[in-house]
Amino acid sequence: MGRGKIAIIGIGEVPTRIMPERTRWDIIYESCMEAVRDSGLDKNDIEGVIAASPQAQQRLLSEISFGKIPEELGLKGCKDNTVCNAGGASTSNCLRLAEQWITSGIAKAVLIPHVTVHSTIPLPDLINFFATAGMDLQWEYPFGTTYNAIMAMMAQRYMNETGTTPEDLASVVTALRSWSSRDPNSMFYGRDVPSVEKVLSSEILSTPLHKREGNILADGGSAMVVVSGEDAKKMNRPVAYKLGESARYFSACPVLRDFEKVAEGFRVTAEEAMAEAGITKDDIDLWNVYVAYPLGHPLMAEALGIAPIGEGAKYFAQGRMSFGGDIPWSTIGDAPGRGHTGSGVGAATYVETARQLMEKAGIRQVKDCKYVYQNTAGGSGFNNIATIWGREL
Amino acid sequence: MSINLDDLDTKKPTPVTQPWTEEFWEGAKKGKLLIQTCKDCGAKIFYPRKYCPECWSANLEYVEASGKAKVFTYTTTYGMVEPKFMGDLPYTLALVDLEEGIRMMTRIVECKPEDISIGMDVEVTFEEVEGFALPYFKPVTK
Repeated sequence: MGRGKIAIIGIGEVPTRIMPERTRWDIIYESCMEAVRDSGLDKNDIEGVIAASPQAQQRLLSEISFGKIPEELGLKGCKDNTVCNAGGASTSNCLRLAEQWITSGIAKAVLIPHVTVHSTIPLPDLINFFATAGMDLQWEYPFGTTYNAIMAMMAQRYMNETGTTPEDLASVVTALRSWSSRDPNSMFYGRDVPSVEKVLSSEILSTPLHKREGNILADGGSAMVVVSGEDAKKMNRPVAYKLGESARYFSACPVLRDFEKVAEGFRVTAEEAMAEAGITKDDIDLWNVYVAYPLGHPLMAEALGIAPIGEGAKYFAQGRMSFGGDIPWSTIGDAPGRGHTGSGVGAATYVETARQLMEKAGIRQVKDCKYVYQNTAGGSGFNNIATIWGREL
Repeated sequence: MSINLDDLDTKKPTPVTQPWTEEFWEGAKKGKLLIQTCKDCGAKIFYPRKYCPECWSANLEYVEASGKAKVFTYTTTYGMVEPKFMGDLPYTLALVDLEEGIRMMTRIVECKPEDISIGMDVEVTFEEVEGFALPYFKPVTK
């Protein structure tokens, strides 16, 4: 890995909705073609396809692992194809592998697609997938674990340690939805932003987590075109350069997750990624955080040194991370604001990072956006990958 | 989306064991909470492994724990679970810290959800599920 080795030069997206009428291949066509057109390249310039692994969609995974995307799209110049899977961190690994293909000469331009259609998966399969993925089948699942319950347990401990109130935590949802209500790609586009009272009036799923603090499973897809930083510069058009990266592994099983190690990992990865990029946190214009549940946001704000320890949620309650606030944060609203598309929220967050640096974010555009911090996390939170992106090399 | 009730799996999941964890579950059936320890480096290991995750020794043994623990965190679940767990609702999952220094996932039973708190003293109790004895915890009786 190295500073400025790759850049995102094209993005495409099919808005996140519940749309069982659209097939997975329909969405792949539209998002990929939009990304290639946006890049200014010809379809036959795409020399590699590295897809983010679709979760809970075994047939599609087989099809795209075994090379169907270049064939369907008629990518005549394609030299190779594969899939990366690390749950929500899949797209980070697609980008890493693209960098390896590009720097080693395997491919000059790489297409990175993602698609998920949850709405046509039989409900029992869907429930079972999200009840067991990221859980240990011996030491966790038999007790009745769910993703909601795991996040709720973390929230319970955090609230106990910091004195954070249910109102503070609920305000994270209000902040995230303030962005997504203005994002045409969100399933909540144009919808009212729920007040703290409305979030707290929804039913309790797992104490202290309310229904509106969880995620809605949805359908969507996105794609990016990546080339070398050098080639991107020659194109003389708005692009997003990858400037730094750092990662830490925590644990596969939630029962073994050390809360302090996670907070430390959030802090260290940001520091290392910014050091590689040659910037400090004061240079960051947008904190594009992807942690899937509201609780991760205050934890991240504290670990990044933006809010004092224990006061992360209060910053959200003050509206500082909301649309119009002084700390631009998760401008697609993370999974609670976007709609949950499996490994797709991580992909969509990268698309948004590029969109902001390319100044294509419309009403959500962060003014004079030069540097973006973006993270992803895989599984039920087994790791954290921090990256820094910039509009100039 | 529609649900065909015949498609729903309502049988409780049982622990998917490994050869080196069978002793743990046999112990549980006899009412004993066993902890795997490394005879070479002294590590207390949870969950049990084939080799010690600290020193890769194969020289491992199970010792009986006191069964006493403190609640590290917990959550009471009221909905959005698989049909196989719906009959248990509401139920309280917890992470508990054993006196011996390891943390387990479990359920807190034999008390009302509102009486559970972080730091509360609990002790092991076993509940039979599909032929397995799952280690749950209940408030320590004073």
